[in-house]
Amino acid sequence: MLRIFFAILTGLFGAALLHLVIILSLPHFTGRDAATRVEAEGDLNNFYLLADRYDEAGLANGDPFVRTAVCSFDIEDGPVHFTAKGNVPFWSIAIYDSASNEVFSMNDRTSVGGALDVLAGGPIQLTDLRKNLPQELQQAILVEMARPDGYAVLRTLAPQASFNEAARNFLTEAGCEQFTAR
Amino acid sequence: MFRFPLFIAITLIVAFGGGIMISLYALDATQGFGAIKLGAWEAFPALQTVEADPYAKSHRARAGKLLYGSAEGLTFTASVDDEGGRLNANCRYRISGQTPPARLWTLFTADNGGNPAAVKTGHPSALNSWTVLRQPDSSFSIEISAVAQPGNWLALPEAGTFRLVLTLFDTPTAGSSGVIDLAMPKLTKTGCGNA
Repeated sequence: MLRIFFAILTGLFGAALLHLVIILSLPHFTGRDAATRVEAEGDLNNFYLLADRYDEAGLANGDPFVRTAVCSFDIEDGPVHFTAKGNVPFWSIAIYDSASNEVFSMNDRTSVGGALDVLAGGPIQLTDLRKNLPQELQQAILVEMARPDGYAVLRTLAPQASFNEAARNFLTEAGCEQFTAR
Repeated sequence: MFRFPLFIAITLIVAFGGGIMISLYALDATQGFGAIKLGAWEAFPALQTVEADPYAKSHRARAGKLLYGSAEGLTFTASVDDEGGRLNANCRYRISGQTPPARLWTLFTADNGGNPAAVKTGHPSALNSWTVLRQPDSSFSIEISAVAQPGNWLALPEAGTFRLVLTLFDTPTAGSSGVIDLAMPKLTKTGCGNA
């Protein structure tokens, strides 16, 4: 009888250990995390509009009034420039690294003139850029990425149906392009 | 002579079965620590950051949702009313009061996964700060029921439990850890069934 008790006790210790291992290692191999899903939307450096229903990659707007576009990017070969402007009541952008941790987020109130102008790059790329800042980046917000790959989520709101078209235009015209100094 | 293998088998079954079950349970039950609870409403302001605890990180990696950044907004979810009863589509509820300061907010009825609930076509399942009708003191009162109501009305799914999701956009609340005084709207049950 005592042996069964010991067997169960050992099992419980094992269960606790396994629980820790699962919880700590799960984020690295689920294959269902937001970064993987955004990557599955399509090519890099392109904003993809999401629908109200879940698409094949498993992403959706998630809120009836929110319109979302996602872009997966890699700054290995050069920084990525996010641009958008339009007449929408609200927009916001969040940049995440490949582990889905927030790197940077802002909304239209904190932008220059209401337009989205953000450049994400590695520390060395940004130092090089700052030495001789190109004219088109004079007003851009420079965001330093510790890791080369990540994704950006651009959102806008359509509180009433009449805002749908403006929101759609804002998102389709948004840019997520590799920046090359001219 | 078969007792020794039997003990090893018991140990292994308890270890693997228990370990996996408790992990799945923990990940489904909670989105991690670090919640701010205001009445029935619950939010996780640090869920998307690198400071999130291991449970939160596992949960978000499994759910794979696009989370709001701290400058974007903060999502409050209610799955119970102010008395602690689970929200059920058989009952009627009222949301009244004010939200914390925010530039815009949206409110929608959601299924248990937090996705917009399927209501009958043409029925309103969502409201926002622009469309809500307000009292002279700018507070509001929203009726949530399966049958149409005058004033602000949110329709309910056919049956079963549901959740309410209130998202505040561009809000100072997102940067807080619940230290500042926040008042969320009250969520009261006004009746069940046909009574």
